[in-house]
Amino acid sequence: MKTIKESARETKVVREADVVVVGGGPGGIGAAVSAARNGADTVLIERYGYLGGMGTGGLVTIIPQLTDYTGKQQIVGLTQEWIDRLITRNAVDYPKKEHWGSLDKELVRYYFQRSFFMTRLDRVVYAAIIDAEISKYILNEMVQEAGVKTYCHAWGTEPIMEGNHCKGVIIESKSGRQAILGKVVIDSTGDGDLFPYAGIEFEDNIPPNFRIANLALCFWVDGVNLKKATDFRMNNPKEFWELNRKAMEAGGQGGFMPSNLPDQDAVVWFHNRFPNKSQVDVEELTRVEFEGRKKMIKTYEFFKDNMPGFEKSFIVLSGPQLGTRSSRRMIGEYQLTQKDLSDNQPFEDTIAIFPDLDRGQESLDHPNMYIPYRCLLPKNVDNFLVACRAFSSDMHVQDNFNLIPHCIAFGEAAGAAAALALKAGVGVKNVDIKALQKQLAKQGVPLPDVTKKVDYKYTGPALVSSAFTPPH
Amino acid sequence: MSEKPSVRTITEQARDIKVCREADVVVVGGGPGGIGSAIAAARTGADTVLIERYGHLGGMATGGLINILPNLSDISGKQHIYGLNQEIIDRMEKRDAAFYPRKKDWGTADKELVDFYNDTGLNLFYVRKDPNMGGKERVMYTAVVDPEVLKDELNDMVQEAGVDLWLHSWGTRPIMEGNTVKGVYFESKSGRQAILGKVVIDSTGDGDIFVEAGAEFDGELNNKYRTAWMASTFWMTDVNIKKADDFKASQPEKFAELMQELLKLGGYPHYLKGILGNQRNVLWYHSFQIQPEASDGKDVRELTRVDVRGRKRAVTTYEFMKKNIPGFENCYIMQTAPQLGIQGGRRVIGEYILDDKDMVSDEVHEDTIVVLANNDNGEISARHPSICIPYRCLVPKEVDGLLVACRAFSSTDSVNMYFNIIPPCIAYGQAAGTAAALAIDAGVQPRKVDYKALHKNLVKQGVNLPDTK
Repeated sequence: MKTIKESARETKVVREADVVVVGGGPGGIGAAVSAARNGADTVLIERYGYLGGMGTGGLVTIIPQLTDYTGKQQIVGLTQEWIDRLITRNAVDYPKKEHWGSLDKELVRYYFQRSFFMTRLDRVVYAAIIDAEISKYILNEMVQEAGVKTYCHAWGTEPIMEGNHCKGVIIESKSGRQAILGKVVIDSTGDGDLFPYAGIEFEDNIPPNFRIANLALCFWVDGVNLKKATDFRMNNPKEFWELNRKAMEAGGQGGFMPSNLPDQDAVVWFHNRFPNKSQVDVEELTRVEFEGRKKMIKTYEFFKDNMPGFEKSFIVLSGPQLGTRSSRRMIGEYQLTQKDLSDNQPFEDTIAIFPDLDRGQESLDHPNMYIPYRCLLPKNVDNFLVACRAFSSDMHVQDNFNLIPHCIAFGEAAGAAAALALKAGVGVKNVDIKALQKQLAKQGVPLPDVTKKVDYKYTGPALVSSAFTPPH
Repeated sequence: MSEKPSVRTITEQARDIKVCREADVVVVGGGPGGIGSAIAAARTGADTVLIERYGHLGGMATGGLINILPNLSDISGKQHIYGLNQEIIDRMEKRDAAFYPRKKDWGTADKELVDFYNDTGLNLFYVRKDPNMGGKERVMYTAVVDPEVLKDELNDMVQEAGVDLWLHSWGTRPIMEGNTVKGVYFESKSGRQAILGKVVIDSTGDGDIFVEAGAEFDGELNNKYRTAWMASTFWMTDVNIKKADDFKASQPEKFAELMQELLKLGGYPHYLKGILGNQRNVLWYHSFQIQPEASDGKDVRELTRVDVRGRKRAVTTYEFMKKNIPGFENCYIMQTAPQLGIQGGRRVIGEYILDDKDMVSDEVHEDTIVVLANNDNGEISARHPSICIPYRCLVPKEVDGLLVACRAFSSTDSVNMYFNIIPPCIAYGQAAGTAAALAIDAGVQPRKVDYKALHKNLVKQGVNLPDTK
């Protein structure tokens, strides 16, 4: 490998804070807001000009899997606060609360047609479809109100290491290369960008048949006569699917989802999957941008020419961020693995409960996943937390639990833990778990009674549908 | 736990950085200047790398939602800018994604057409009063393009030219050997890496590379010029524009009063009617920050403030219009620009500094690389409808191995604001890329490139140049 010697230099320290959060996606927002609200002087560093990551710039405007199959909401906290703020601005769509967990066939069919994300396991589940632009604004509001110091258009690239201690991070921006020092550093880059430099152990193996093996370039099309398109699909299902097949033959993609957001009744979404070698390889990212954009234009042109209802359509926008699904996964103090998927007992240091909905009968037998605080802690660095999809997990756990609400929950716990540790004058590894759980509960995070053994057996009706089919 | 400002530094140790690529020409920044540079360099035979911070090309024209190529003709309708600019428009037209007045209407004073552009609010880009015709308004050749289609088309163009493109890559620092640039360091999800090149072209818009290369520059921004105003552009759609127009026409006082109220709330009352033929019911908000504040697009704190404030202004505007103005009932914000609208910044001190004298000189430089229409200076424009830009404006005074092809070209702030928009930047790029390839071919530094050979090559590429003999 050819290298070049980059000379030593002095880099300006522009800020010293208590907590430095790198990345303003779901994990970073959770971490920054939670740390600041708990009294820490908090800096948030974001590469783009807006917050929200995949939830806004990636056009993955869906916060799914908030209730378990019984209809009990398990993810609340900052996720619900984001949704509540959207509700006051009429910028969100979700199943009515009284329908969560319902087995009613008509209701399930209704929501299934409304959105792929609103039904699972023969039941209605709570998933929120959110407005991306309004969300960007709301997230700004949330961090500002909490007193977070945000750096937009700034790329946190490297940790500043001193032995097993991370003193801060280097940022690159239009102001040049600068340093921000912090007592606790939280990696919410999604990809664990700080791991290689900090010597944090990780793995990144992903089998090609996994959801997380794929990148996406999501885009929206407006000006669609959705009623015409839906009527065509209902009355001529064969021709409809034949056209989708032809779109693919023409180099485009088939299948779209209606937006459902208020006043966006002429908007449809195209989500997609692009296999790749790695989601942290700049050459692969470039290749998929090209391929994705080509496919997008072919799709648009084909639909406009051929699909009833698309005659006057146009591309509203393409995601400024690629839809990244997974890359580096830390091997931390505790690694969640496949065996945890079939265990119903909570951990003593549980900081979140995630509904398990995508594994058919197994999900019914193990309806919730408990998340220990330790899966946010690296082994070798003493003042560092991970609050994003790079949390400590194997590929199976990662494939199921690395979505937007999960990452917000990691962040909410990591931010609170960092602030509590600083207040107590201890390292993040020695934070008082009971105090952390108490604080999270106060923030509205549902947590289990860890003193009781869970005795659970599924006794409901046998499973009929898959994620892709409504009950018969 | 209060804010602790700091002037400390930390020491970063020397280290080995992976060299992932060696090329002839390395272009930093994929905006209008960078696209011009990369395509021209590659077509002229150089092994060319283009590094772009975002996932798309086009800079302000796409990610900034400033999808307008203005001033292609002068006020009389005579076209001056050709070359890659015209090629891009031609290719976009084939995809039904470029819109401009018909050729026979360039320069027309036809009332219906003039009124059309005045009515859309796009008169700033399409209409000028001509002192030579007693102040009559005339229509110029300006094109608007669909930003999403343009992103794809630019990908096609750089690929066809054989450019090696690196997206999601932020070129941050030059690699120096004495006063010669030898390549750049860049950051990406692959970590910090280096790309070496024989000529580096700074198309970052802000001159991000030439600062550490030691090039002399002027970073002053004067708030009386447009170049000091940042914008956060957004588009609103599903607006019933006719209904809104009717309301405005039938109750002008009520409308004005509501707009005053919106302003007081911190909203932005001015919108342009989107005239892309493939899009209906779309309004463009080129939301400049409230004057008379000046701003600095090279200060990350300022960028953050402007972005946060701009977003608040967008949502405030949206909610107010929706609630109060007939025709906006069903609208929504279709997108906010992922890139802030930066209009000016550092300007390199080059071998030639374009200044006020040039506005009235009519001089044909022997190293002219593009002729630009001079449309924004009233009486001066009437007497001097075009201006020749010399190649020396792209060549930094001291530093070798470097050209500047973006709005940071060598010019005073009073002149920069007229000639730093999208079409000139594409033209600067086209010249810089060609010059870089010719210099490498001849084994000389870019400043020593043979002007005659450059002239000949640019003419061959369809650039409209005056006879310099």
